Amino acid sequence: MIQIKDLKKVYSGVIVVNIPQLEIRKGESVGLVGNNGAGKTTLFRMILDLIRPETGEVLSNNEPVAGHENWKNYTASYLDEGFLIDYLTPEEYFYFIGGLHQQTRAHVDDFLAGYADFFNGEILKKGKYIRDLSKGNQTKVGIASCLLQQPEFLMLDEPFANIDPTTQFRLKNILKDVNKKGVTTLVSSHDLNHITDVCDRILLMEKGKLIKDIATSSSTLAELEKYFAIGETTVPPAAKVDEEENH
Amino acid sequence: MISTFFSHELKAFWRSKNTGKSIAIRIVMAVLILYLLLNMLLVGFFLDKVLKHLFPNDSLIFSFCGIILIYYLFELFSRLQLQELPTLRVQPYLQLPIKRNTIVGYLALTAMFSVFNLWPVILFFPFIFKVVLHDAGGTVALAFIISIFGISIFNNYLALYIKRKANLNGWIFLIVAAVMVLIGLADFMWHIISIRNISYLFFGNLMHHPVIARVPVLLGAGMFYLNFLYLKQNLYLEELSAKKDKYKSSTEFPILNYFGATGDLVANEIKLMLRNKRPRSSLVMSLLFLFYGLIFYGKPGLKDSDTFKVFIGMFMTGFFIISYGQFMYSWQASHFDGLMVSKVNFTNFLKGKYLLFTVASTAAFLLTIPYVYFGWHVLLIHFIMYLWNLGVSITIVLYFANRNAKRIDLSRGASFNWEGVGASQLLLGLPLYIAPFIIYIPFKIWGHPNLGLALMAAIGVAGILTRNYWIQVLEADFYKRKFTITEGFRNK
Repeated sequence: MIQIKDLKKVYSGVIVVNIPQLEIRKGESVGLVGNNGAGKTTLFRMILDLIRPETGEVLSNNEPVAGHENWKNYTASYLDEGFLIDYLTPEEYFYFIGGLHQQTRAHVDDFLAGYADFFNGEILKKGKYIRDLSKGNQTKVGIASCLLQQPEFLMLDEPFANIDPTTQFRLKNILKDVNKKGVTTLVSSHDLNHITDVCDRILLMEKGKLIKDIATSSSTLAELEKYFAIGETTVPPAAKVDEEENH
Repeated sequence: MISTFFSHELKAFWRSKNTGKSIAIRIVMAVLILYLLLNMLLVGFFLDKVLKHLFPNDSLIFSFCGIILIYYLFELFSRLQLQELPTLRVQPYLQLPIKRNTIVGYLALTAMFSVFNLWPVILFFPFIFKVVLHDAGGTVALAFIISIFGISIFNNYLALYIKRKANLNGWIFLIVAAVMVLIGLADFMWHIISIRNISYLFFGNLMHHPVIARVPVLLGAGMFYLNFLYLKQNLYLEELSAKKDKYKSSTEFPILNYFGATGDLVANEIKLMLRNKRPRSSLVMSLLFLFYGLIFYGKPGLKDSDTFKVFIGMFMTGFFIISYGQFMYSWQASHFDGLMVSKVNFTNFLKGKYLLFTVASTAAFLLTIPYVYFGWHVLLIHFIMYLWNLGVSITIVLYFANRNAKRIDLSRGASFNWEGVGASQLLLGLPLYIAPFIIYIPFKIWGHPNLGLALMAAIGVAGILTRNYWIQVLEADFYKRKFTITEGFRNK
């Protein structure tokens, strides 16, 4: 599905992403973890052709993403609120996105009806523009608009941040569900429990490099916790920031 | 504490991205502001001559006393529209151990730093020093100065108080505006009251009893205190900011469905304009510019000048292209990443821009048809300039849009907002305003102005017919700059 070759990005002399080789096969569910500044979002942006890499390239279905647009037909992504048109109502936004994929309004309405639980009555018909929604609810709109596109490849950057526990559980089920249906997923998160629960394969990034690439097993969570809890013995427990981040 | 606030404020100003990093913009801004100030200073300096000319029968000081209050009425009106409320900047301090009085006091005090408080000084002080000091002596001049400061402060805080109230209830603004219009009408149309006489009543008496200069000072202090109290009681973010909770309904533009994906993009852009403050004001400006012709066509000297008609025709049918187009793509900066990764074909994106501008220009042209009153020739030139705008101006504007990577925050007002202004806006003006004349003027000098007009029409039509070619050129050009643009737009 996705092939990365010699991908490198430098910001003011510092290498922020440096991935010599990575392949994500069709149907895989991949989780991306790493501390702040590890280069996760930069990697996402390069896969989406929003940032030009210094060297190397990203192939999607054997075609470079840069200079081509075919990948847009089967790729859905939500990285941040910058992906939403904030002066539209959620309905208008969904109709717009649906329209891009030749879906009728009735079809979009049908689809949204299936997400009534996920929205928890806070998104549709509330008479608010997207910019007036809370960050968590904006995330919900972004995720739902991704699913609406019925993608083959789904990318979410920290989708568990900002949303309430109930929605986090629902989102986990949704992700497992779409993956079962054959959708390739690439999700980043700071929540090690969620990510090991949802993903079959975990990529660990540190300072731009992929330092671990593991198939999820019962010992994966412990392994990751061990990595992230550096210095726990010398510093009081309060310094165990990474797990708590975003909650 | 106040000095810490002040230094933070200064840092916020200098470090904000929209202060304009490039020197060229700062120079242009400085020149513009200087020019304005100089103009005001000139008026202030020759106010005695101006007054003599306006009211030849009255004594100088009498007419001076008369205009002061009229000035302040106008000032209040423009303050209500233009002056910005100093608000949200207090957000990071509210939860810190800082006394509320300090925060509120600072908030109320910084409201004094407004250009509006400079105008009366520039306008009236030269006259006071030149005439009042000379005629009535130092004490009276001092009383005048104190009074003018007093009324300025009063006006300043009255405007802010009304604006704060109006934020909570939109009717207040309408009522105040109506009252002010009524006062204006009652004086200038119906002659029921005379602001001049009221003004003279006070300032005339000030000449003999300088002590009453205390009255405006007290008024100013009272208004300040009222603001202070109001702010202190309402120091909650949701009440300070200007958000109104109304049910926002979804809208559709069925006509645009005929244009498919392009139509959807145009529908979004129309919503962008209607639902955000700054693009909305550029829309309103384009409507106001439709009256531009009235100012010039009525003048006998300019009526017969075709060169003027070319200029005015271009402006009236194309003002929207200029005012909205100069910040093109920046309007969509906040969701540009989303547009780039979603299934939006960039050709359609560009077609949408062409469609939007075509619709706007056509509407403007139709609305200017009544200018036929000034002769058929006017209409003909308007039509030619309309074709020119459709064929040439849009492409020029979009070409410069590819060179613009400055983010714009849609929610902020347009007046004195320099956000998103960069070199590309300044350069854009040159080809846009000058190109028609490069074609027209030589023919005019040669003695065949109509040939020039015909050539412009031909170029316009050619531009319209070859649109698809230009769209391809623009698209290829965009992909060369895509990463610069997306990165610039991500830069808050």
